[in-house]
Amino acid sequence: MVKFGIEFVPREPHWKIMYYAIQAERGGFNNLWITDHFNNRNVYVALTTAAIYTNKMTFGPGVTNPYMVNPVFTAQAVATLNELAPGRVVLGMGAGDKTTLDTVGVEMEKPLTAIQEAIDIIRKMTSGETVAYQGEVFKTAGAKFLFKPRGKIPVYVGAQGPKMLALAGKIGDGVLINASHPRDVEYAVSCVKEGVNVAGKRFDEVDVAAYTSFAVHEDIQKANKAAARVVSSIVAGSPPQLLEKHGIDVKKAEEIKDALKANDWGRAFSGVTPEMISAFSVCGTPDMCIERIAELLKSGISQFVVGSPIGANVREAINLISEKILPHFKA
Amino acid sequence: MDYRKLVELIPITNRETLSHKLVDFILTSKNDEKMPSQLANTILHHWQQNVLESESGLAALLEAALLLEPDKTISAFGELQMTSIAEQIKATLAS
Repeated sequence: MVKFGIEFVPREPHWKIMYYAIQAERGGFNNLWITDHFNNRNVYVALTTAAIYTNKMTFGPGVTNPYMVNPVFTAQAVATLNELAPGRVVLGMGAGDKTTLDTVGVEMEKPLTAIQEAIDIIRKMTSGETVAYQGEVFKTAGAKFLFKPRGKIPVYVGAQGPKMLALAGKIGDGVLINASHPRDVEYAVSCVKEGVNVAGKRFDEVDVAAYTSFAVHEDIQKANKAAARVVSSIVAGSPPQLLEKHGIDVKKAEEIKDALKANDWGRAFSGVTPEMISAFSVCGTPDMCIERIAELLKSGISQFVVGSPIGANVREAINLISEKILPHFKA
Repeated sequence: MDYRKLVELIPITNRETLSHKLVDFILTSKNDEKMPSQLANTILHHWQQNVLESESGLAALLEAALLLEPDKTISAFGELQMTSIAEQIKATLAS
């Protein structure tokens, strides 16, 4: 049966996120993902409160990167969380966002190698090993915890491009596909399968998630308006080839990018077209969302992640999802 | 203000509707910085136990809503035909 995850951004204070997390768990969600960006509140503080206020959901950073936080510290953080909530901690690891890394002067060096090495180090550390590692990007000289970690923590690799998706299939316990359109997710899954085959694993051994931008409301206009906030940023950051693939006018995307740069949110959001919303989000009334999720499931994904913005009113949106969408897939 | 005593004045039939309204005010408020951390934890604890509509839960919600969104909160009492409580809150806030 498909699992449902939900993403929160700790730009909001911990008490709002935890209110929603408790609500989501009660409403039938299986997984909680908290984003990790230096300019928001700290992801591990948010996850610690999740360990305290939730009981069943798995939770983890969705996603952290090995450039901003050295893998030994990520290993330490998740191993400690796993003491608070044994068996419920997962780790989402991706290469990060180049614009954010540039802001703090951190180079995104050899992302494929960095992810592979970081995960290798984290797995060894969380298994209690002494890690002497001579990688191309990361090196350790006998790193070891002075406490006994509580066992295996599933690692999900966040990926968008074909090489990272294949690597994710090869080395990940799970994959977080950063896409919302069935065509994009279908292609991504085919890349993941290549990696799974290389590793000699079965596809169903890997939890493959579509990590979507999501907005639901009974009123389609309100859902669109909520989605436009996030979709405008996705459009502005997408390469022309991807935009053209979805029939999106590159010139219109440039206009949105300019408006965002000028902090002219009104112009940016009003420039978002229905084609853009369809390409880069799962958005609409509950019935429309059910239809889109059903399409996405055909690709073989095993987890559907409800990502930002969730809805115009997050509390109402979680209620809608729990009452009208989840029962359709969990019956 | 004794929030627990105020809650005792609220008819039981209005408590569920009021608690939903107060939660919405708190969650959609832009005045996050006005929320005391201890009060936030009290609300979360009640929510976790699913007892936000109890007297102690409602008292915590009322205190938070009046800190973050006083005007909306007072209006909500009026909308739910609890004008005397609304007046009492107004008078206490003004004193």
